[in-house]
Amino acid sequence: MFWRIVRRLATANRARLIVILLALGAGAAVTAALLNIQIDAKRRLTTEFRSFGANVVVTPRNSGDASNATLDQSVLQRIPSDWMGERIETRAVLYVAAVSLNPTLPPISVLVSGVSGDGVPALIAKSPITPYESGIHTYLPVCLIGARAFKIIRPNGYRAMHEGAVIRLSGGAPYPNQGEDCNGANLPASGGPEDDQLMMALPVAQRLAGTPGKISLVEITVPGKPGSINDFVASLQQKFPDADVHGIRQFTEAEGKIYDRISGLLAATVAVVLILTTLCVMAAMTNVAMERKNDVGLMKAIGGATRRVLRLFLAEAALLGLIGGVLGAAAGITLSIALGKAVFGVAAQPRLIVYPVSVALTVIVAIAGAYPLRRLANIRPAAVLRGE
Amino acid sequence: MFLRLVADSFGRRPRHKLLTGAALALGMAVATAALSVSLDVGDRLSHEFRSLGANLIVTPDPDSLPLEIGGVDYRPANAGRYLAEIDIPKIKTVFWHNNIIAFAPTLAVSIRTNASIGELSAKLIGTWASHTVDLSDGSTFLTGIEKTNPWWRIVHGRWFGDDAPECVVGAKLFERAHLKLGETLNLRTANQSVALKITGVLNSGGPEDDAVVATLEFAQRLAARQGQYRQLYVSALTKPEDEFARRNPRTMSRDELERWSCSPYVSSIAYSIQQVLPGSDVRVIRRVAEGEGRIMTHVQTLLWLVTLAALLAAALAVGASSAASVIERRTEIGLMKALGAGSGTVGFLLAAEQLLLAVAGGAVGYALGTLLAHVVGEKIFGVAPQPSVFVLLVILGLAAAVTLAGSAIPLRRASRYQPAPILRGE
Repeated sequence: MFWRIVRRLATANRARLIVILLALGAGAAVTAALLNIQIDAKRRLTTEFRSFGANVVVTPRNSGDASNATLDQSVLQRIPSDWMGERIETRAVLYVAAVSLNPTLPPISVLVSGVSGDGVPALIAKSPITPYESGIHTYLPVCLIGARAFKIIRPNGYRAMHEGAVIRLSGGAPYPNQGEDCNGANLPASGGPEDDQLMMALPVAQRLAGTPGKISLVEITVPGKPGSINDFVASLQQKFPDADVHGIRQFTEAEGKIYDRISGLLAATVAVVLILTTLCVMAAMTNVAMERKNDVGLMKAIGGATRRVLRLFLAEAALLGLIGGVLGAAAGITLSIALGKAVFGVAAQPRLIVYPVSVALTVIVAIAGAYPLRRLANIRPAAVLRGE
Repeated sequence: MFLRLVADSFGRRPRHKLLTGAALALGMAVATAALSVSLDVGDRLSHEFRSLGANLIVTPDPDSLPLEIGGVDYRPANAGRYLAEIDIPKIKTVFWHNNIIAFAPTLAVSIRTNASIGELSAKLIGTWASHTVDLSDGSTFLTGIEKTNPWWRIVHGRWFGDDAPECVVGAKLFERAHLKLGETLNLRTANQSVALKITGVLNSGGPEDDAVVATLEFAQRLAARQGQYRQLYVSALTKPEDEFARRNPRTMSRDELERWSCSPYVSSIAYSIQQVLPGSDVRVIRRVAEGEGRIMTHVQTLLWLVTLAALLAAALAVGASSAASVIERRTEIGLMKALGAGSGTVGFLLAAEQLLLAVAGGAVGYALGTLLAHVVGEKIFGVAPQPSVFVLLVILGLAAAVTLAGSAIPLRRASRYQPAPILRGE
């Protein structure tokens, strides 16, 4: 009997039913979408910081002014491949002060960086390490020339480059007799020190410098919040007591600051939107509840106790909240997946926890929206029946 | 008569009107707050990103290649070209001068010095800690390495004074050489020497931790390069680059070039600086500029989407509540029609009421929302967004559109009501 009355109450006025469901559903959808995005965006943001590149460096201890101090290549194997579930990118670099020899120009000093690991340009990663001949072609290791270095090593520009793409390098002062030939290609300007350098595969650079198995530093990209990056630095420093591990403060600090700001902004926006959506839904519900005066009067007149009548209306509100919440939250989560795709290019992962939370919130809001019905308890049935 | 009917409707049921109006005001407050914050966030974030430091670097036209490892140039002081310090104020004359928030020149020179552990060699980096630059328009501008490289921190003591014979020492060098604050360092090159008092310990997390940093003038004196410098770091507020921004200005048509130069892209700022500094090569520090651009674009898109969601939710809730307010007036509509009012008149009357409510609710919502945006902006960025007329207009328009759309469907149904059954109470 109870549920039959509830069903009748809910379906008596179709237009009103649609209005309430729409308000509740919209609220639930926004709640679910925002909660999901809020959780996802914070995590995504730390991955976004990868685009700033390395944020931790391992250098030989007291490298001070001795630019030729080196680390053993074996440190690379001892750096973990992931931290807090996120993949770590490592890149080993050896700097060699070399001399570019060109038959038509005087010798030019140039800094060569030998690189290996993550983020090495494909041209270098795929290039042969040692020159080899196949048929009439000789395949040389590839070296990439920074934008400014190119202007000096090849002052006659790109055409001259094709005529003599091969760059002759000699290992500089300590090993004047060591030499390497490489096939040059130019890099676009980056504004960083690599603009002035020549980049090649690490083994080639080690051969050029005569220091096999040695590297100058390791650049590491660790995604995560500033605190977890500091933990990583500390744990790595413990592993390598002879080396100097430090975060690149320029990036770790700014990342922390920006992360705080953006997540604060997101949290504030989401909180404000949620609170006000709740209030809007409540206002809409209240408006609808006010007109139930007649129903209440009639029920009381035919012997319904105030508590029972109230229970009826609350059950109705909860049922509508449940339906609106179930439908709205599903729509909201679908929406947030699409939004995540639009913003970060990766679909936001739907969090299971978000669904029950937003459905529960909607039910609570619906019941709270029926709260003004309490005043209906004071209605005098006679007045209603007289049509006043 | 018409106005009396409207006034009567408001006077008779103030509670109902108040509730509908409150729903409207709240919905519009969300919309206002979200819109104000989204409109402002680009500027605010662009300021925040300046904690990454300079995004432009000015160097002399390439001549010899710097042997730069970890930011320190190992070239001898006599190799390579230099730029003239006297030209620096010119960069505040470019079109985007208001976007240039800091700049600092540097000149590094190898020095030898005596410490308690014996003679050692190190780098002296000459720059400005906090320097007042006289601009050509008579005003002054305070800038320095503190602003371009905010992660350079003084851990003990203080920065060196602008022209005083003082210096700060990198943390590693300070420890290694067992130096003390207040001690005087004698810095020597082949034929010059200066005595500088140590006023602070610098921690930068970079190669500067092994160097001595002092006013540019002393580095110039030691390098015998009066009035010259090697690198200028410039920190500028920029707009994230898009496809258009990356095009070569030399291949653009006149209109395109104008549009390109009138957007604060980092590359167009670089181009305009290059034009005022003779013999310079201005490069964008891609690592900073691109990461910044990408993150900013994403965050802005995200916020816009959140704003859109907020607008949508507000619109739905407001629409629902105005629909409810029309539905409950069935009897009234029936009576009006029975007394001879046409569907058009009834619709017009109700629409006028809703519009009045929309304007009032929208205005109150705007005021509330502006207050909210102020609190949020102040809390997160320390700077509140300015209230804008644009937002007010958008909000009023939105409020009117949403209430009308919300009432449209019930109103159409109302126009089909037969007055007789309603009056009979069916």
